[in-house]
Amino acid sequence: MPSEDHNVPHNEASDARFAGRYTGADRAAGAILGLAIGDAAGWPARQHRSHRLPAWTRRLRRELDVFAETQDVTSLPVPFALNQDPEPLRFGPSDDAEWSAWTLTWLLRLGAADQQADAPTWSREQVHSIWLDAVETDTVPRGRISVATAADSLRKGVRPPRSGYDNPHHFDDAAAIRAVAIGSMLDSPDLAADVAEWDAEVTNAGDGLYAARAIARAIASSRLLSVTTDERATPAEDEGSEGRIRSMVWRASATTSSSEEEPLGGEGNLPSLPAQVERGGALHENLLRELPENTLIGRTTRAALDAVAGTASPAEAVPLLDDVVDRVYSYGTAAAQTVAVASAMAVVAVRAGAPSIDAVTAAACLPSLADSAPALTGALVGAAHGASSFPDSWVRRCRVLVGCCAPALAGVDLLELMKGNMGEQ
Amino acid sequence: MNQTDRARGCLVGLAIGDAMGAPAENMTAEAIAARWGEVTGFLTDARSGTDDTEYAAFSALLLLEHGSALTSEHVADAWVEHLAGRTGGFPGAGFSELGTVENLRAGLRPPASGEHVHSWSDGLAMRAAVHGVFAASDPAEAARLAAVDGAVSHSGEGVYAGQAVAAAVATAMSGADVETIVDAAVQVVPADSWTAQALIQARVCVENAVRSGRSLDVPALLEALVTRRYPWTDLGPEAVGLAFAAFIAGDGRFDTVVPRAVSMGRDADTTAAISGALAGALCGHGSIPPEWVEIGPVTGRCLGDVVRGLMLSDLAERLVEVHDAE
Repeated sequence: MPSEDHNVPHNEASDARFAGRYTGADRAAGAILGLAIGDAAGWPARQHRSHRLPAWTRRLRRELDVFAETQDVTSLPVPFALNQDPEPLRFGPSDDAEWSAWTLTWLLRLGAADQQADAPTWSREQVHSIWLDAVETDTVPRGRISVATAADSLRKGVRPPRSGYDNPHHFDDAAAIRAVAIGSMLDSPDLAADVAEWDAEVTNAGDGLYAARAIARAIASSRLLSVTTDERATPAEDEGSEGRIRSMVWRASATTSSSEEEPLGGEGNLPSLPAQVERGGALHENLLRELPENTLIGRTTRAALDAVAGTASPAEAVPLLDDVVDRVYSYGTAAAQTVAVASAMAVVAVRAGAPSIDAVTAAACLPSLADSAPALTGALVGAAHGASSFPDSWVRRCRVLVGCCAPALAGVDLLELMKGNMGEQ
Repeated sequence: MNQTDRARGCLVGLAIGDAMGAPAENMTAEAIAARWGEVTGFLTDARSGTDDTEYAAFSALLLLEHGSALTSEHVADAWVEHLAGRTGGFPGAGFSELGTVENLRAGLRPPASGEHVHSWSDGLAMRAAVHGVFAASDPAEAARLAAVDGAVSHSGEGVYAGQAVAAAVATAMSGADVETIVDAAVQVVPADSWTAQALIQARVCVENAVRSGRSLDVPALLEALVTRRYPWTDLGPEAVGLAFAAFIAGDGRFDTVVPRAVSMGRDADTTAAISGALAGALCGHGSIPPEWVEIGPVTGRCLGDVVRGLMLSDLAERLVEVHDAE
């Protein structure tokens, strides 16, 4: 792990700048970087990152929570370092970014293994075997209740999809987070959704599966939307980094890759409307396509999208989306909540042409969903607008992992990882 | 033994299990043993039922009013009338009850009202014995009625767990043996459901103990049924698994079955209520030890006036009468 300032990447300027806005590579990087940026923006990131510190620092924090209660003071404890190196508590990404990196790692491994073949075949069994190997070698990162439960089940000999179904948190968004990586890598939205489902069924079922399919499809589809004239980067800027990234990415199928100037969306070929409105509509449609109406996630996502239909900015959407938030349960990672809010925030931002970072910071204003709704929001807007749409100050702080869930990933640069380079460790 | 005796045994047994298990709710088996030693009866002087008793009484009232014509719409209307308007919270209730109330307040109707993040809870299983009493000797009908009631507040495994209890009680009401009762529960739910798996695991654990000539290996049972990475104890499949394990291991004898369920901890009031309902239906009211049988009226602490003052024994008799009248 780099000893100093490991949130700041290599000395070059952001690679995203060179990638050229609205290229496929920029959007793939945008999905992953957007996820990491949203992950960092939510308050739980600091709690997760505090796991790089000794356990007694967290025990003292819990005691301070009790202290605040017993002494009737409003001062709430925050993660602190006392006599330890405070580096992990700097602003930066946490669990979701590390889970996307873990997923990228196996995607690259499978892709690399299949590179010789013209039409490599990915199978459900192959995806499941990734998990079985990880359980065998005890390398499953620290994760949500759904993931920890599934890992325990796999250890006991239970197999997917049982491991995801006999699971009290089958409805959470753990697989939806991983689906960001899958959607950013696979060029066919159909295949991305299928692979996301094969991965999701290890740890989730029901809403958790629909969410993973929806996120994978939305990310893959946003990346592949045709580049309109006003958005298109100059070819000279494209060539280099897109070529580099693409060389590491397996192309599933050419059939769904959009040819240039192909009309956007299924029904609404409305060339007179600004591109962002079409883009927002396409995102809306791709998300809902995987979320059946008669499910909890299908209802909440439609309700969230309806609630923000007349909203001009992500910030304006915050109080409206609070109506969608569940106030009954002790955890805020149900996909029916986080995917609903992220979908609505992203659609508002894309439709309004709002800066990507505005969608993320707005999503971070809903505290109970702040562990993952901002991350999913960032991934969706990042896939639509590219990594270069995020401020450089955020990119610099959020591209390098701290290893709070997967210690082996400490110091990994997400943009380098997307090129197949694990970086110096 | 007549139907009324079994019906009274079932619902009074449910209330006794609920009251006996309440002090041990959410405790571990080790902590219960350390605090009370071997469980042989009530742990404290408190002898009133909690949410399990009150929600069962509430479901019984719906059956008394509508009989086998009960619909999920009737149930939803009753929840809206008696629960959704309540202020000051829902003492004793779990996540699934408030999740349902919030859905109903938002205007959702069944089955959507039962689709929330705790749709698999044991909240239907705790009240579904009444459907088994009403549809005595007809496990399929008992399971149907449980699903009609449960669609308001649960879906998927939460409904299956309730159906398993209803079908088992209906079978116990016919005086079948323990084996047949458990078969009825397993057969009424999808073979690949979590609930079916939990029931089978519970049965295997008990059989292993019998085969080896030892007592039930409770740590092994808990290891098989409990999801350790989840902090709450309200999973339907887990609760019915533990309740049925206690029922099978105690060979259906009320005085053995109920303390055993209590001693295993977890959602002890619910597991003991379910096992008490099963044993009470099988062995009848007369089998309940006299020092336990005096259980007071429903307090209404959870659901208020709609159930306050009701006697479980009376509800049981009326369920039999209404069913006979149909």
